[in-house]
Amino acid sequence: MIKAEHIFKSFNNGITEVLKDISLNISDGDFVVILGASGSGKSTLMNVLSGLEQADKGKITVNEQELTTLNDKQLTEFRKNNIGFVFQQYYLLPHLNVESNIKLGADLVKNHNYAEIIESLGLTDKIKKHPSELSGGEQQRVCIARALAKKPSVLFLDEPTGALDEATGRDVLDYIIKEKERHGFTMIMVTHNQNIAETAHTVIKMNSGKIVEIHTNNKQKTAREIGW
Amino acid sequence: MIISFKSALKLVGIAIVLFCAAFVCTFFLNFYLDVLPLRDEVTEQMLPLYEAQLATAQMCCAITGGVLTFIACIMALFYVKLYIDEHYKELGTFKALGYSANRLAASFMLFGLSAFVGCALGYGLGHAMMPSIYKWLTIDGLNVEIHYHTGLLFGIVITPTIFLGAVAYLCAYLQLKKPALAILKGQRKQRKIKSNNGSKQNNNSFLKEMCFKTITDNKLLTFFVTFSAFCFSAMIQMGASMESLVDGTMGWMILAIGLVLAGTSAFMALTSLVKNTSQSIAMMKTFGYSLRERVTSIFAGFIPFAILGFVIGTVYQYGLLTLMINLIFKDVGEVPDYSFNVKIMFITLAAFIVTYTAITAIYVAKVNKVSVKQIMLEN
Repeated sequence: MIKAEHIFKSFNNGITEVLKDISLNISDGDFVVILGASGSGKSTLMNVLSGLEQADKGKITVNEQELTTLNDKQLTEFRKNNIGFVFQQYYLLPHLNVESNIKLGADLVKNHNYAEIIESLGLTDKIKKHPSELSGGEQQRVCIARALAKKPSVLFLDEPTGALDEATGRDVLDYIIKEKERHGFTMIMVTHNQNIAETAHTVIKMNSGKIVEIHTNNKQKTAREIGW
Repeated sequence: MIISFKSALKLVGIAIVLFCAAFVCTFFLNFYLDVLPLRDEVTEQMLPLYEAQLATAQMCCAITGGVLTFIACIMALFYVKLYIDEHYKELGTFKALGYSANRLAASFMLFGLSAFVGCALGYGLGHAMMPSIYKWLTIDGLNVEIHYHTGLLFGIVITPTIFLGAVAYLCAYLQLKKPALAILKGQRKQRKIKSNNGSKQNNNSFLKEMCFKTITDNKLLTFFVTFSAFCFSAMIQMGASMESLVDGTMGWMILAIGLVLAGTSAFMALTSLVKNTSQSIAMMKTFGYSLRERVTSIFAGFIPFAILGFVIGTVYQYGLLTLMINLIFKDVGEVPDYSFNVKIMFITLAAFIVTYTAITAIYVAKVNKVSVKQIMLEN
């Protein structure tokens, strides 16, 4: 369960207000999309909910742990035990091969059975390759495998298909949704793509640092069914 | 202009190393050139000492000048590579717009400016301190006057400037010869990767692998770490031992030069290391690796190189002093008593551990500040 109450966040010594009185509840196992245009504050919201950044004001509770009272060291420990990340720009370690990149996540929780994740993401024949030898879609699948290998209870994805073409984006989204169904973790995806929101259960729309709408999709579409 | 004057002057490492080289070479060579014509005035009794002094001047110039110029060249190559790695987008765009590799590389000759600054300052300080240095270098009974030798200005300031500029040009030219697209994709991403197509599971832990890869990806930095420890060890021990052998001032000078060189190399190596590994550090932090784990995976692999540098430095200073004593004082009646000083070695070792732990602590704080947001902004 993720609970945020009256969250405020600003930059440049308070001049640029990015989050303005955000409150939300996310249930365990939910698939949430935070939808908004560039500059709406969706990535900052993801950062504070995941413990990458501290909010200026308000209270955030994730899995009964209050993040707003934790220091940097405690936040790192919190992320280690609870959170997985997938970024738009992948951020794979270029000098390590696919397997070692996935071990970045797996070793944290002493998960020795990461081979199963590699297989389910179709990366078995790529494990000795380096990121520069992979396509964008393959790199993003490695990111997903890296995040899942640490068995997170909450997976945050920041525009995971943003750097991919439509077909590859669809494939990656398909993999993500399938893995979510298999493992049952809570998934929070940040995107500006309205169509991707149709695959989620809950959609939180943001504009100018505020939540303008929260709605639930009664029938979630698959990655193959949505437009792009 | 592709390389700005500001960027060229930022190469403090080269300037400091060449400053030390120019400083030592200026007063020793000037002294050598001033003393050489006085041979007829030297009495039979003074001759061995006179020749010993000439040999000392020659040896010090050759070793200090040679080694430090070599180090400055390696630093120049390192800086050029680093500059191209960091500015691959701009340089690739220039190449795509039609600038030739020759034209782009020519602007790297400006890197010779840092050599000029270092050499000119060293040359100036060498001259400024010459009266007092002559006092303790001159043999009793010999009247050595300070003369200005124009040739030295050319040899100590102009030549290294041109040489370093040429080295920078050549290195840049070789790297910028590639097609524009290859440059635009970035040097770091273009590294030759030996992929193994086997599917056997790797049993090494991520942290061990990270530590190993950090070393293999930053081989040149292992050289600077070793060199830094070498300078610290060799020159502090040599400086301390000199006090009982020749003159206290000489000892202090060697010690100061050693500390400056050690500090410069350590600063250069660690700053580049943190910069090169910032993405890895940020991702490790994001995923929840503790500060200790992050720091260990980045720095631990360099510890053996620092120890190696210390050991080589210890052996080197002992060997050099023994050699100098045997060579220089062989014809002098009184050969100074010299043996390996275990006490100085242990004091230097303690200072080494404390200093390098403190330096690492500064960089640990830097590592802790690296965040994924910073990496996102840089991208």
